[in-house]
Amino acid sequence: MTSIARAVLATSAAFFLAVPVASAADLTIGFTLDADTLDPANHRKRETETIIRNMYDGILTRDANMKVVPEIAESMTQVSPTVYDFKIRSGIKFHDGSDLTAEDVKFTIDRITQEGAMGDGQTSPRQSLMGPVESAEVVDGDTVRITLKEPWPILPAMLPFQEIVSKAFVEKVGSAGLATMENGAGPFKLVEWRKGDAIIMERFDDYYGGATDIPPVGKACVDRVIFKIIPESASRVAALLAGDVDIINELPPFSVDQVKNNPGTDVMTVNGTRSFFIAMNMQGEYFDDPKVREAAAHAIDKDLIIDKILGGNAARIEGILSPDAFAASPDLKRYEYDPELSKKLLAEAGFPDGIEVTMDTEGAFKDTAEAIASLLTKGGIKTTVAVGEGAQLSDKWRTKGAPKSGDMYFTSWGNGSLDPFDIFTPTHKTNDRGNSAGYSNPEVDTLLDEAAVELDVAKRADMYHQAETIVNADLPYVYLWVPQDIYGVSKRLKGWTPSADSRINLHDACVE
Amino acid sequence: MSLGKLIERLIQLIPVLLGVSLIVFVMMTLTPGDPVQIMIGDQAVTPEQEAAMRRDLGLDRPIVERFFVFLGNAVTGDFGTSFYHKRPVSEVIAERLPATIELSLVALIVALLTSIPLGVLAAIRKNSIFDRIATVGSLLGVSLPGFWFGILLLMLFAVHLHLLPVSGRIGYSAEIEPITHLLLIDTLLRGRFDAFLDALSHIILPAITLGLPMTAILMRVTRTSMLEVLRQDYVTFAEAKGLSRRRVIFRHALKNALIPTVSVAAIETGSLLGGNMIVETVFGWPGLGRLVVESIFLRNYPLVQAAVLFYAITYVLLNFVADILYTVLNPRVKL
Repeated sequence: MTSIARAVLATSAAFFLAVPVASAADLTIGFTLDADTLDPANHRKRETETIIRNMYDGILTRDANMKVVPEIAESMTQVSPTVYDFKIRSGIKFHDGSDLTAEDVKFTIDRITQEGAMGDGQTSPRQSLMGPVESAEVVDGDTVRITLKEPWPILPAMLPFQEIVSKAFVEKVGSAGLATMENGAGPFKLVEWRKGDAIIMERFDDYYGGATDIPPVGKACVDRVIFKIIPESASRVAALLAGDVDIINELPPFSVDQVKNNPGTDVMTVNGTRSFFIAMNMQGEYFDDPKVREAAAHAIDKDLIIDKILGGNAARIEGILSPDAFAASPDLKRYEYDPELSKKLLAEAGFPDGIEVTMDTEGAFKDTAEAIASLLTKGGIKTTVAVGEGAQLSDKWRTKGAPKSGDMYFTSWGNGSLDPFDIFTPTHKTNDRGNSAGYSNPEVDTLLDEAAVELDVAKRADMYHQAETIVNADLPYVYLWVPQDIYGVSKRLKGWTPSADSRINLHDACVE
Repeated sequence: MSLGKLIERLIQLIPVLLGVSLIVFVMMTLTPGDPVQIMIGDQAVTPEQEAAMRRDLGLDRPIVERFFVFLGNAVTGDFGTSFYHKRPVSEVIAERLPATIELSLVALIVALLTSIPLGVLAAIRKNSIFDRIATVGSLLGVSLPGFWFGILLLMLFAVHLHLLPVSGRIGYSAEIEPITHLLLIDTLLRGRFDAFLDALSHIILPAITLGLPMTAILMRVTRTSMLEVLRQDYVTFAEAKGLSRRRVIFRHALKNALIPTVSVAAIETGSLLGGNMIVETVFGWPGLGRLVVESIFLRNYPLVQAAVLFYAITYVLLNFVADILYTVLNPRVKL
């Protein structure tokens, strides 16, 4: 070989070696849904927030155990029942290099809470997530003061759902621009959004480090993060098994063993926040009688269904609250499985030959509903499952007090804040929007209303305990379980833990 | 076909589109399920906050008014704002459309390239083993559910053999500046052969899954019409003249046998566009079908209305193309 040929060869070899290999530090998530928008104030979907939250940070955040801790804020002080001060950290940069200031925080909160603040007369669809927030003002240069119209103890629990935008950037690109562009202060910045296909982000090297209470503090570990949208669960599992992705969400319970047995993959679970229950129409033909409702409660073997259908991945409940929620009562009366007692109760209620009912549910829960129906039938409540579509069933059952038809409704309610305010009140207060049983108890209404604004934590917890005890005796619903969120992960993934609020925070995640 | 006929056909589109708009609007509005309730999800809200959301989505106005506002705006090309994306519906649809068109075209090509030779072969070897296998195969092709067949292909080619990717349209290292927005074409136009192969590897499985039922239908049609043509006097005459079998089939019979195939293919292409939501879901293909289904569940009225209108236009136009092709292939027929 001539020396020229050798030189050419060496140069071209060097060239090829210098080309970055399809990087080892890419972290890919097989995710159920694409983001609707990248504007943190203009959506109402948890999946959208999960994606956005890796590019934007909030005033407060949560650790994996759902504890609320400061993120962009350095500290939080409650000045009075309706006034909170947040001291904003210095040295935080947005992705465009500009500094994040208290003005940006005020602007963000105004944009979410003030009427018409999104432009074109539109109000942020996230306004209701900020409850009775009246105003945000900058005091002392680096402190933002949030004032409430009335006391609202769950403000700190709700703030992690909002992300801080740059005032200058929003004023430049408008709400229309923010829908597809981002300028957050989070650990990753947007590279490309291939709509319906993937969102590609890369590490933001000037990141301030994130919440000091959640180590490790510093830049993100991986170079790139890719949210790859794979709506079908069987395909998500296939992508994980094929090594195309490193994390998948919503792993179906029946695929858990397959993922566990595959050498390169594993399963991670975290207690979820969605409570499942059966609403019994208290204005209906049978379930106005407490004895019939009790019969239903005793006819269902929750442990058996959790074990056999949910693969053990759920926590049993006796009230609406998840065991992890604030003020969940650990010692509520358990309605144990006892089909003979069910029959006896039905006879006492005047139905010695049992009753025939229909249970509505969505297609996704048909199997579980069928299992429940066969247990109910054994207990004397001959149940037929009727599968409907989500929005249509919600219309039928969540009538806000208007008369409704139907006997039973197998459904669920999510509680991302893990505060009773967001789940107990809508499902149990008279005529509230999630009260599918048509339950009404003035005593419970009063307790729920008062607890919503009670600032003394112990007193507030006690009110919810009382309400849970009353409801546990009244039994408008058969409370069933809180399923765990199940993730499939690649074994090359390190440093990541799933979070109970279904967020997938990738700041600390590394790949080997 | 004369220009007059063409214009007449286009004018006929207007009542069709008006009818479709009305039907979709009424059906969406009458379907139980409140967009505002769905959007709020599991949350405590005050009645005022709920009313504000309803107002912002324009749902506080009477239904009749909403319909005429929709029609008036649609004429100018404004289909409203997607409830969820908070951007113009036309923009959201335009982003997803190229993927659907590309997948449908490739599926169509796959279907034509396989069904016609198989159909012809089955006809000229009527009642042979091959014919029987093809008949059973086409029955299977029509009856296999797309999601099941798609997942089967995924498990085999992506998970076990590691030959093809599970989902998506192209890998993440390829960045192609769009020209036509059809990746297979753009990658070639940009001279990126590596990216072309990448895009090709992504489209193979979804295109086969989507094209399978069509292959089966077209094969049956081709076989039947080929058999019919082979019985015609002119074919017998051609054979009597002493022409080779090959020449008789390919020069004389095939062109006439393909007339029904082509018109069925044109019409079936409409169902390719509309019927690929399942395939798009299984293969994470970022197309329109998936978006529409998601939007139906969320009662995202503006998006569903615009998309159905689009499907209707496409369907009518494809039928029109079928008619034209028919006259081209068979000059005796006049429209």
